[in-house]
Amino acid sequence: MLSARGLAKRYRRVVALEPTDLDLAPGESVALIGPNGAGKTTLLRMLAGVSRPSEGTLTVAAGTAARVGWVPQRPALYQRLTCRENLRLFAALEGVPDPEGRAERLLERADLVRFADRQAAHLSTGTMQRLNLAIALAGEPSVLLLDEPTATLSPEQVHRLWTWLTRLCQEDGLAMAFSTQSVDEAARHAGRVVVLSHGRAVFDGTMRELVREEGGDPDDRDAAERAFLRLVGEDG
Amino acid sequence: MRALRNALLLLGKDLRLIRRSPALVAVLVGYPVVVAVLVALALQGGERKPTVAFVNLDTTGRTVQVGEQRLSVDDYVARLEREVDLKRLGPDEARRALDDGQVTAVLTLPDGFVSDLQSGVRSPVISLVTSPRQPIEAEAIQRRLESTVYRLNQELAETYVGQVLRLVDLIDQGGSIALFGRTGDLVGLGRSDEILTELQRELGRIGRPDLVRKIEPLRAYIEGVGENLDLARPAANAIASPIKLSVSEGPEGREPLSAFGFAGALLVSLGLVGVLLAAAALSSEREDNALVRLARGLLSPGALVGEKTVFAALACLVVGAVLLVIVALTTTLAVGRWGLWVVALLLSGLGFGAFGVLVGALARETRTALLAGLMLALPLIFLGLVPGNDAAALVSGLTAFGPAFAAYQTLLVEPSVPGDLWVTFGHLALVALVFSGAAGWALHRRAHQ
Repeated sequence: MLSARGLAKRYRRVVALEPTDLDLAPGESVALIGPNGAGKTTLLRMLAGVSRPSEGTLTVAAGTAARVGWVPQRPALYQRLTCRENLRLFAALEGVPDPEGRAERLLERADLVRFADRQAAHLSTGTMQRLNLAIALAGEPSVLLLDEPTATLSPEQVHRLWTWLTRLCQEDGLAMAFSTQSVDEAARHAGRVVVLSHGRAVFDGTMRELVREEGGDPDDRDAAERAFLRLVGEDG
Repeated sequence: MRALRNALLLLGKDLRLIRRSPALVAVLVGYPVVVAVLVALALQGGERKPTVAFVNLDTTGRTVQVGEQRLSVDDYVARLEREVDLKRLGPDEARRALDDGQVTAVLTLPDGFVSDLQSGVRSPVISLVTSPRQPIEAEAIQRRLESTVYRLNQELAETYVGQVLRLVDLIDQGGSIALFGRTGDLVGLGRSDEILTELQRELGRIGRPDLVRKIEPLRAYIEGVGENLDLARPAANAIASPIKLSVSEGPEGREPLSAFGFAGALLVSLGLVGVLLAAAALSSEREDNALVRLARGLLSPGALVGEKTVFAALACLVVGAVLLVIVALTTTLAVGRWGLWVVALLLSGLGFGAFGVLVGALARETRTALLAGLMLALPLIFLGLVPGNDAAALVSGLTAFGPAFAAYQTLLVEPSVPGDLWVTFGHLALVALVFSGAAGWALHRRAHQ
């Protein structure tokens, strides 16, 4: 569905991401995990078509970047438009046939009906993040890319968001790639993890494989955390 | 096609957000109106006559006969009042008014002004005391009064020379004389020559050729004087008016300085509206983080720049039209040719908008964009208002401010549409394109980092 080959990003002489391969199959959920500055956001921005790679190729099965839904860490929406207006506008910009209908359906699916006519600036953090996510779905994508979607949310909001996201991906058969710094979150919600460290992908596989590769017990709840820290060189 | 549709969608969003902000609308319309009024008042200040205290120490009420004209102090004052607003005061009041700044200068007509003029023995001296606190106005008054005195002197000189020429005619041809209060009869050179010729003929008839010869030098003298007087006429005319200036008034219905003032006010208002609105509109896309969505192929940087530029141009058109309607209803300025005004307002709005979008593309946040827009636009706008300075014209001509001011002035002042208005329109379009291109490039670099 989405295939990146040798995707790299340089800012003048600074290498933000070394050539990286990544494949995303339909319905698959992949977590990009790594510490700050590892290159997670850089990789996601290039996959989303926001940032141009310095080298490498990106292929989206559907053929256009419009089929990719992008959820940046900081909500990307018009603060002084209402939830409904934001959804209608982005659905229209994405060129969907019935933007008004699409907006109403998204309001229902994202549980935003009671906030429909409230300006985005007046929403709580969690609700705004749901709107941010709903906007990403406005173009009826087949791939959803999320940059640390739960970074600013409370535990309760995190739980609600993942419940909703999981249901959405199952219902629509969406492929999903998300970045996180939480090993636990990656373990819970991703079928596969890609570990990034210092601009380089150092591991690509399941969480159990990661633990095994680092010599840990896959049934030990803390083993994944230790394995990750060893891999990124932050185990003390 | 998709780019155009999406640009229109964003334009609709921007207009909706403007409509949703009554405070912003009030500022957008109210601020330019206030600025326009203030700038117009400031620029029209030079059009008012300066106030000058007038002290008349010649209270005799006498008049002076100069040729066929009879001049009094009142006639002289009437002439001065064409140039300055005269306030008749006593000497002490005038001094106090000057000290208090109520008048810019004190003009004193001396005692014996008319009699000195009448006698012609010495020139009467008018004194002008100006205020050092208002040096610019004082200098203007001095120039105006010097010009008035010069013109009056010129008229008097012409009258006096006319008198001299009439005297020359009297000497030549004879007649009654009334000059400087004296009257009498003159025989004249022509008649004198006739008398002497007749006398010579009589003397010849009675056989006195010696006496005939004695009279001959007198006749030669008369002839020589006559020839010299013939030369004196054109010489006297030349002295009366060595150089003449022909002054005529232009067509009525226009007030050039008011037009300059209003064109300046339009430039300041629309310049700030266009630049600040475009800068804020673009930077708010970044502040809302919406650029990261738009940059994914929904709208190219060029189309986004175009949308914001058009948005600013529409705002300039509306605000400019409001100002023009107010001016048309409340002043005598001739505001017509609405079709050309629409073109001028839209093109200048595009130029201002493109400038603002460039600022917005370079700034990281809205507040920075607004501050930078204001700091960059203000000096450039005022450079555009500086008349007759090549460097200022060059700099403001590199932006939309110079050509916009030229277009506004042309539409307000010129009774017919000159061909160079279209050149100015082309200049505005070019500037808008260049700045839009630069903004698109800057945005492209930022968006895809």
